[in-house]
Amino acid sequence: MSDHHGGPGHGLAARVRHVEALLEQRGLIDSGELDRALEAYLTRASPANGARLVARAWLDEGFRSRLLADANAALPELGLSMGGGMQEQRLKVVANTEATHNVIVCTLCSCYPIALLGPSPTWYKSESYRSRVVRDPRGVLGEFGFAPGPDVEIVVWDSTAESRYLVLPRRPAGTGELGEAELAALVTRNGLIGVAAV
Amino acid sequence: MSRINDVGGMQGFAPAGQELDEPPFHADWEAHVFAMNRALIGRGAYNLDEFRDAIERMPPQEYLAASYYERWFHAITVLLVEKGVLTAQEVSGD
Amino acid sequence: MTERFRAGDRVLTSRADPLHHTRLPRYARGATGTVVELEGRYPLPDDRSRGLPAAPEAVYAVRFSAAELFGAGDHQVTLALWESYLRPFPGRGQANE
Repeated sequence: MSDHHGGPGHGLAARVRHVEALLEQRGLIDSGELDRALEAYLTRASPANGARLVARAWLDEGFRSRLLADANAALPELGLSMGGGMQEQRLKVVANTEATHNVIVCTLCSCYPIALLGPSPTWYKSESYRSRVVRDPRGVLGEFGFAPGPDVEIVVWDSTAESRYLVLPRRPAGTGELGEAELAALVTRNGLIGVAAV
Repeated sequence: MSRINDVGGMQGFAPAGQELDEPPFHADWEAHVFAMNRALIGRGAYNLDEFRDAIERMPPQEYLAASYYERWFHAITVLLVEKGVLTAQEVSGD
Repeated sequence: MTERFRAGDRVLTSRADPLHHTRLPRYARGATGTVVELEGRYPLPDDRSRGLPAAPEAVYAVRFSAAELFGAGDHQVTLALWESYLRPFPGRGQANE
């Protein structure tokens, strides 16, 4: 059994080191592989990537159309890709509109567009979010301080297969004079997941 | 019955807070578990579906009590033993 | 090989409760929904997780109303579901289900 907060209780850290050492001794993994896996996850994957996609889509209708029609094909236009993980996943970008608000979850585990959002937050992976957002999305969004209007239909996307979903938030009012970098700075990870407006 | 990971629509879980500026790993061992899993899948020791299956086969009480990367480490060790890569004794260090 | 379903088709999900790994959540079993689009073709995880041969099979985004899934709610839930989890609705014999 494990310590409630996942600390190295019961010698977990030592057990991990022990198994890793065994695998390295047998030539089943090497430290170079381990470093590369971490580097891809920690440095190249970031919500700044998702934010750049959104800013470009806000400024360029053609890009927005291409992004919504075939996101994997549009990503290279910004030098991005869904690769870098275990396999290249299909990206599906879902646009918020005046009538529809989208929110993403993986009820079965924790699937998430890591390449465009960076590592997922603990709350996204929690039983609390996974169990509740499909049943009561308004309640969950309210806990994040976000309340779509009563006429806005909420669509929850459960990442049960190989697609990874990214929300394209609506461009906030009063941002007409902002450049692409400034627009990207408005976009939060929570907005890209759909628990915030932007 | 469905497995314990299949929590969509299940009632009773309290709201989870957001940790501000949460780091990707809360301890060094978590990063090692993450990287180890990527490397083992990359090498074909097991596949992603087998990995998820191994997590889902955790006894429910253990699954719920375990942190995210504790579940990953459980799955990795179960699979390494089931696949005959390591023995249970080697894993436990006895 | 052609896909069985197209956007707009009504489908009914399986009610099976397998003992093995699957990616049809309990809350969406035995539910009727509408196909949104074909997402791609991927091997069935139920088989891949058991070391069985798994040829790629169509996966669809399928939308369900909250009322259908939970008996309450005004939202929609879209899941990505393998063709093996789906059958046409209405179909033969389903009047008795």
